[in-house]
Amino acid sequence: MNRWHYLRKKAGWSFFTIVFVIVLNFFLFRVLPGDPARQGVRDPRLTQATIEAIRVRFGLDKPVINCVTTVNPLRLGDCGVNPLDTQFFIYVRNLLRGDMGTSFYYNRPVSDVLWERLGNTVLLIGGGQILAIIVGVLFGVFAAWKARTAIDYGALITGLVAWSLPTFWLGIVLLFWGSNHGFPIGGKSTPGMSSYPFLTQLGDILWHLLLPTITYTIVYMGEYMLIMRSSLLDVLAEDYILTAKAKGLSTFQVLKDHALKNGMLPLVTIIAINLGYTVAGVIQIESVFSWPGLGGALFEAVVRRDFPILQGGFLLIAVSVIIANFIADMTYSYLDPRVQTTG
Amino acid sequence: MPDEFILEVKNLKKYFRAGKQGLFSRREQFVHAVDGVDLQLRRGEVIALVGESGCGKSTLSLTLMGLEDATEGSIFFEGKDVTHLSDKERKSIRQRIQMVFQDPYESLNPTQTIETIVAEPLIVHNIAPTHDERRDRVVRALEDAGLKPAEDYLHRFPHQLSGGQRQRVVIASALVLEPHLLLADEPVSMLDVSIRAEIINLLAELRETRGISVIFITHDLGTVGYFADRVAVMYLGRIVEIGTMREVLTSPKHPYTQALLSVIPVPNPRLRKQRVILQGETPNPIEVPSGCRFHPRCPVAIDVCKQSDPRLFSISETHQAACLLLV
Amino acid sequence: MAIQTAEIKPAVPASPLPGIWKTFSRNRIAVFGVAMLIVVVFVAVFAPFIAPFDPKSSQGVGTSDIYNPPSAVHWFGTDDAGKDIFSLFLYGARVSLMVGFFASFISVGIGGTIGLVAGYYGGRVENILMRFTDTMLVIPDLPLIVVIVALTKPSLLNIIFVIGIFGWTTTARIVRSQTLAVKSRKFVLRARGIGASNPHIIRHHILPLVMPILVVNAILVISTAILNESTLSFIGLGDPSAISWGQMLNFAFSRGAMSAGAWWALVVPGCGIVWVVLSLTLLGHGLEQVLNPRLESHHLMPGKPTVQSEAVEVSDETSDAPVLLDVRNLSVHYISDGQAARAVHNVSFQLHEGELLGLVGESGCGKTTLMMALIRLLPAAGQIVSGQVLFDGKDLATLSEEELMDVRWKGISIIFQGAMNALNPVRTVGDQIAEAIIKHTPAMPRGVVDARVVELLELVGIATEHKDHYPHQYSGGMRQRAMIAMALSCNPQVVIADEPTTALDVMIQAQILELLDSLRKRLGLAIIFVTHDLGVVAEMCDSVLVMYGGVTAEYANVDTIYNMPQHPYTQELLKAFPDLTKPEKKLASIPGYPPKLDALPSGCRFAPRCPVAFEKCTIETPKLINVNGGHIVSCHLVENK
Repeated sequence: MNRWHYLRKKAGWSFFTIVFVIVLNFFLFRVLPGDPARQGVRDPRLTQATIEAIRVRFGLDKPVINCVTTVNPLRLGDCGVNPLDTQFFIYVRNLLRGDMGTSFYYNRPVSDVLWERLGNTVLLIGGGQILAIIVGVLFGVFAAWKARTAIDYGALITGLVAWSLPTFWLGIVLLFWGSNHGFPIGGKSTPGMSSYPFLTQLGDILWHLLLPTITYTIVYMGEYMLIMRSSLLDVLAEDYILTAKAKGLSTFQVLKDHALKNGMLPLVTIIAINLGYTVAGVIQIESVFSWPGLGGALFEAVVRRDFPILQGGFLLIAVSVIIANFIADMTYSYLDPRVQTTG
Repeated sequence: MPDEFILEVKNLKKYFRAGKQGLFSRREQFVHAVDGVDLQLRRGEVIALVGESGCGKSTLSLTLMGLEDATEGSIFFEGKDVTHLSDKERKSIRQRIQMVFQDPYESLNPTQTIETIVAEPLIVHNIAPTHDERRDRVVRALEDAGLKPAEDYLHRFPHQLSGGQRQRVVIASALVLEPHLLLADEPVSMLDVSIRAEIINLLAELRETRGISVIFITHDLGTVGYFADRVAVMYLGRIVEIGTMREVLTSPKHPYTQALLSVIPVPNPRLRKQRVILQGETPNPIEVPSGCRFHPRCPVAIDVCKQSDPRLFSISETHQAACLLLV
Repeated sequence: MAIQTAEIKPAVPASPLPGIWKTFSRNRIAVFGVAMLIVVVFVAVFAPFIAPFDPKSSQGVGTSDIYNPPSAVHWFGTDDAGKDIFSLFLYGARVSLMVGFFASFISVGIGGTIGLVAGYYGGRVENILMRFTDTMLVIPDLPLIVVIVALTKPSLLNIIFVIGIFGWTTTARIVRSQTLAVKSRKFVLRARGIGASNPHIIRHHILPLVMPILVVNAILVISTAILNESTLSFIGLGDPSAISWGQMLNFAFSRGAMSAGAWWALVVPGCGIVWVVLSLTLLGHGLEQVLNPRLESHHLMPGKPTVQSEAVEVSDETSDAPVLLDVRNLSVHYISDGQAARAVHNVSFQLHEGELLGLVGESGCGKTTLMMALIRLLPAAGQIVSGQVLFDGKDLATLSEEELMDVRWKGISIIFQGAMNALNPVRTVGDQIAEAIIKHTPAMPRGVVDARVVELLELVGIATEHKDHYPHQYSGGMRQRAMIAMALSCNPQVVIADEPTTALDVMIQAQILELLDSLRKRLGLAIIFVTHDLGVVAEMCDSVLVMYGGVTAEYANVDTIYNMPQHPYTQELLKAFPDLTKPEKKLASIPGYPPKLDALPSGCRFAPRCPVAFEKCTIETPKLINVNGGHIVSCHLVENK
């Protein structure tokens, strides 16, 4: 089986996972106790009639799936219901149209709210990940090269400590320090910036982005450094490194032309697996720094019990991670010529 | 007479699935690891199974042990058909056939003491139910395998023993069940030259004193010269020549055997042999050549070799080879 | 005929545990982690006794107590409700540890079971389980946990449960791959061959070897669970009746600690989390080092400097051809923990143009160390403590690293054993050959380099189309040929072949040996052939150096060694080596086993195993004696003649 076959299989599997997530997403919000309508609008003064009206408005009165009015398997049976008129089907149909429902809080389409914020999250993650990878790789390589020296132990401890820091707490500490030293207290831009020229606005945004990105970088750099270090320690003990040295190559040449590429492979896999955890970091950082991204939206939705946003946000995040995973798999298959077999 | 042969193998085949060739082919491909082997072994007899990698000797031994399921053919052990037995039925047979593997460093569980390792077969088969009885048997087995005083070894771990000692432990754990047949798969290839003879001599001794039959699998013909009664040469899943040790080693009849013997280095610098070095490598057992499977590399192949697949032809009462030139 | 016994007892005293406890206590990281963990557990258990205030009661708390900085009364200050942060902090440890522990219990239980079942039973079961695991792995867990807890009641039990049932994926993967690895090991096959049942094998063979990895992973899972709990609490989904550190941070952050400048309310709880997680991380990392010890060094570590010495002139009477390589009294030690293992001691030989020298010895005799020392490729612990390696007018033993890079490959190249890993798996073979050429002749245009690569491959019998293939696409024989092509790429004068055919089938071996021999004659190479195969040596070599325990046992031309060996080891070795022309010859063996380099016997190193040793042999080390114009032996028996 060659690479195309491998990638085709992976693509198929990613698609299946996305479908699974969609289904899971739907049922999560129906299976778990708590009537979405009641939860969404917590005012105890609502009358039964109003609650019913809300239910109709959000389509919650229809059967969930064919012949099941609630997700209670005991109530299965032929009830002459049109399967196309079930909640599930409507949900999927809307999803395909890009309609993720309406936010309880904003009273606007969920997709609008999330779409605005997606770009901000990408900005944060993009910058942070790239920096984390660069710093992590550099330090990891350096530490492995100088193994068993003070530099190595120092890097190791630094990495372990960085990895142990709770993301949100690091954010809080930096924010606290920063706010006492002239950094903004949060948000994406200073109010009233829109009247200034574009470059100044850009600078302002980057100024706001600085501390969140640094937080992100510190947290993930630790892990990448540790992985790069251990992977490179393994690589540098391999026979082909000795062959390279025997050929008369300098240490730098051996590192560059032989060790690095092999050492990066596990890192690519870890970055892929990590993507799910990266999201956890994003939620925390955005909530601490009030950065208007997807993670922040999720955070706010939890506070406000805004379920459509929660549902839509989760879906969007999960799908992004799945796609990113696939891209990582693709990258890996290009880097490692041994990939030919069934995953 | 059923008692004459301890082991009788008839047309044994073991194929493995190899996946489909290409995306659109429907034909399933197979690895023809063992492709029609006949073998008879007497009580107390030692037969050496010789061949290079890919010839199927290891698969053959695993199939004989019941660790792999035969695809076709039959295996008779002590007169009983053991080809397709359930695990439960096979268990009692297992007491009487034991296996010794190649790698003494991998054959022993590093977290277990020597006593535990050698006692395990007893526990599995519920022999010697008390701890003391077991210990007695373990000590006896260790001493029979040449580890004396056995008490010194009971509490040690594998990593504290040398390669030769470990291999003796493996043999001891095979002996503790008092088997009738021993399958030794390259038992000395990973040991130093100066230690190999120890282990081979041990096996020879066990054959003398206990009448254990041995199938000795190796790629090194030289090591079994004085120990084996008969030698069988395997190539691509078949036995291509079989005979007494003298017959095969001094007057080989199959071109493969002849080539093999001619290239094995001899520790005599004054002897300049005429070497027949075969070109290329053993073909993939997935695509077995048509006709005689050796014909692509055979230095004396003729036209008919491409079409006709030779059986084993008798050269003498004990000596057979599968070559059309003998007809 | 008595059974030959393995006489000599192992030198290592028997110990019940394979030294794991000792290694653990020497690993500083792990010990530190345990110490930190003990502190936390102590605090959590004895919180009610240590805490000065009861965090649940609001007795004696007034508005003036809000956000007070640290003082003598309140060591860590007060929070937004005026409560003592120190007390809250101590009690918070309980919540974090409890959640971490119980949640990970669930995760590891699920993950371990899934991994074990999938790995051991394989087939469809494995397929389904691992597909499921991979799917769950890809789905980001924190958002999922957040969503579920948001929808349900945020109680402690609930949180533990939810964190637990979503934390098993990495455990499942790790346990599965470890189970697979153990399952394929020979001792498991042996157990099956004995007739052991699946439960027996799992209990006695699989579990003991999977457990260490599982423990390390469990520690990691605990720390992740603690972090997850803190994050959940921080977001506001914590159990309001159980104040965890995350909860404290939630209150502080959302109730104006920042603007009030109450840094203590923000820093202290976080430090608690960091302390616990760091202790677990250190413990986990340390344990992993203990259970999976890496080699002490890698190939790019700086080596030890050579000790300069005055060499004794060794007269050369073996041949008239010019001497290419002159090794004089070379000694190499391995130094670790202040102890020196004398791997090679006082070895000398001369290699002439066109000569094929066979270096023979068994495991631990020092032959590979000797070869590595020639081009200074020793591992970090190795050091040349005396002697010279004269090549091309220079002493290689004392050259700087820069000068060495020039000599390597261009003057002396090497073919390693088992070329599987000797070639970089992610670069094409052609590329790796070209690399050597480019390094030593940087001015050569790329086109010429490529043509040379093709020429070299043809020389060794590899078709040109394989130039851009990767090593894993080559068969074993082909890889070794590629190694030979690479070794010849810069037209060296000397080629070291370190057991080049040991791992190959006998027919492939014959092909390779024939190739080497013809190349040697064609290109006028001098080759040092390292092997333990006396047959190959007899066939190919002009001269032979037999090593034992790091010293020269015997050194002479090939005819002398085989027909007039003087050293008992040579004699015994020849007796132990099979001869196909005499198939009924009973093979001899040498009792005992080679000496450990850090515990060498006094006197002659071979004395403990020598059939003709006498008293002098165990007291005095024999000198190297020149028997007959070029025949060197180190044996007291020869001395006396």
